[in-house]
Amino acid sequence: MSVDTSYLSPPLDGSLPSARRSADTPKPALSRKLAVVALRQGSLAVFIGVLVYFSIAAPFFLSVGNIGNVLGQSAIAGVLAIGLTVVIIAGGSNVVTGGIDLSLAANMGLSAAVYASLVQAGHGDVVAVLGALGTGLLIGAVNALAITLAGIVPLLATLAVMNVVAGLELVLTQNTVVPASTEFLSTLSASGPFGIPVLAYVLLGFTALATAVVQYTPLGLRLYAVGEFPEAARAAGLRVKAFIAGAFLASGLCGGFAGILSVSYLSGSTTGAGDMLLPVVVTALLGSVFSRRLVPTIGGTLLATLFVSFLINGFQLLNISSTLVSGVQGLLILLVVSATTLLQRKGSQ
Amino acid sequence: MSNEFPAGVNRRNLLKLTAAAGMVAGAGILTSRTAFAGEEFSLKGKRIGISTAGTDHFFDLQAYNAQIEEVKRLGGEPIAVDAGRNDGKLVSQLQTLIAQKPDAIVQLLGTVSVIDPWLKKARDAGIPVLTIDVGTTNSINNSTSDNWAIGKDLALQLVSDIGGEGNIVVFNGFYGVTPCAIRYDQLVNVIKYFPKVQIIQPELRDVIPNTVQDAFTQITAILNKYPEKGSIKAIWSAWDIPQLGATQALTSAGRTEIKTYGVDGSPEVLQLVADANSPASGNVAQQPAELGRTAIRNVARHLAGGTLPRESYVPALLANKENVGEISKKLGIG
Repeated sequence: MSVDTSYLSPPLDGSLPSARRSADTPKPALSRKLAVVALRQGSLAVFIGVLVYFSIAAPFFLSVGNIGNVLGQSAIAGVLAIGLTVVIIAGGSNVVTGGIDLSLAANMGLSAAVYASLVQAGHGDVVAVLGALGTGLLIGAVNALAITLAGIVPLLATLAVMNVVAGLELVLTQNTVVPASTEFLSTLSASGPFGIPVLAYVLLGFTALATAVVQYTPLGLRLYAVGEFPEAARAAGLRVKAFIAGAFLASGLCGGFAGILSVSYLSGSTTGAGDMLLPVVVTALLGSVFSRRLVPTIGGTLLATLFVSFLINGFQLLNISSTLVSGVQGLLILLVVSATTLLQRKGSQ
Repeated sequence: MSNEFPAGVNRRNLLKLTAAAGMVAGAGILTSRTAFAGEEFSLKGKRIGISTAGTDHFFDLQAYNAQIEEVKRLGGEPIAVDAGRNDGKLVSQLQTLIAQKPDAIVQLLGTVSVIDPWLKKARDAGIPVLTIDVGTTNSINNSTSDNWAIGKDLALQLVSDIGGEGNIVVFNGFYGVTPCAIRYDQLVNVIKYFPKVQIIQPELRDVIPNTVQDAFTQITAILNKYPEKGSIKAIWSAWDIPQLGATQALTSAGRTEIKTYGVDGSPEVLQLVADANSPASGNVAQQPAELGRTAIRNVARHLAGGTLPRESYVPALLANKENVGEISKKLGIG
């Protein structure tokens, strides 16, 4: 079963279903549908166009080794963005009032610090893995409690938790690098079959698992229902708060998992985990343009993650100054997000 | 003073002789340099990976740009990547560089524990790795200033300026970066013999980014904790951006009796050292552009089959209130 609620044709801001309006005003609904299709196909076309251009301009770009590297380099951001996608699905895609988890990057930083500190203290990988995942889960639980019990808006609740978590990381690490080296970490950072990094396989495996759960199970369907039609979901007997709390727990767990990947990638925990927050938020939002109805999906998030990573990689291979990379990347994202927002606004009118 | 010169050599002749000698010497240098560049040290047809931890600091930018220019001057193709002070990006860039199989990689700065596994992977892939200010066994050659001398000179200047006694504040946030660790260790070695000099505990942690603002905030807090004049004599940091923030905090709080010290010779810090009213009292200026050029020349020598020393030292210059003008002129920033 594939979770696609497109038959409901809901506007993304939760207003009356467009099916009702479409009887009176068929033209705007049709034009929006066409625009959505154009944006989605256009985004895919841009993605493919970028790949083709880089393949021609930088022959090394399309090599198996380079693609594997890009996949591996995307693993940490991808796992975090998938965690955020689950929260956006359950909380609705309005960034201000809907689902958002600003604590994710800080969560990864603290989880990585816990892992590295436990290794430094002489503990084995099993304890360190449990410590990192437990840390992530605990942060997710605090978010869940603050949002579902205290009723704080996710944007503010997770912003506050982000600051607490970043502070705890500073206390634990004294803002220094905590090196960690174990056989498990070496295995994670090594190359696997076909010379492709193990982290690339981890990302693909994790995405497949998350896709199976979110896009192909009744749980996933309910998650979308809770995010898009909370009142209807409540009326149908769904425990809306429990689903939202669950989404934040899942997100927290993703933060912990990304922390482990980060320790393997950077041979320890390093400072500056918070820098990943905005790219992850942007990636999760950008993922919507790769879905049929401009809604967040796991597959869309993976495509968005890879799109950004390939873009950065292509610039590197073409030896374009990194000062330009950020600007061009930001411009592309601004264009896509603007188009999405305009379409959403048009759809809600 | 007499204007007479030895018989047969009047002033005009001496000038002519000097000019002629200069031309001959210049031509000789040019010839030898061209010969070096054309034969022994050419990088023609070579692709050289240049990776840096960041370019947000005067030192980094100078060394980075100088490497790119030197590779081009020697006929090679630079593949230059800048990680913007992000460890994740740094590792990604190294991965991509390694996969492109350049003829050599030069790594400028970076936390050893983070980059070393990837430098090893480059070495294992048969790519020669050279470094600037990175102490690792995976590098064939490390171009660096003599950080032991830098640390000792700066510490001796500090101890001398404060009369061999008093509390000092130390920024020690980057002990994982080899040059910072050496400079800090040298400070500790020197003050071991001046028992009346004490480092205030806990030591401060300088951060990246927002180093200046953070140092300003931390020093303001310390000044509130030690309000009496004389309770702190000096502030030491392993580079000069924290020194900049600390100096601004002291000036702002009217505590200019406290002296500040740092390393790298950024133009804005040397200007402060030159200011008689500024607490900035000492700064060891490195020659980052020369470090960058040295590393690339070493790459060329290695690729030509020459042998390299483990470390190539480029002289550093201690600037204090007395000689800062002269040092700035030498560095071309005066």
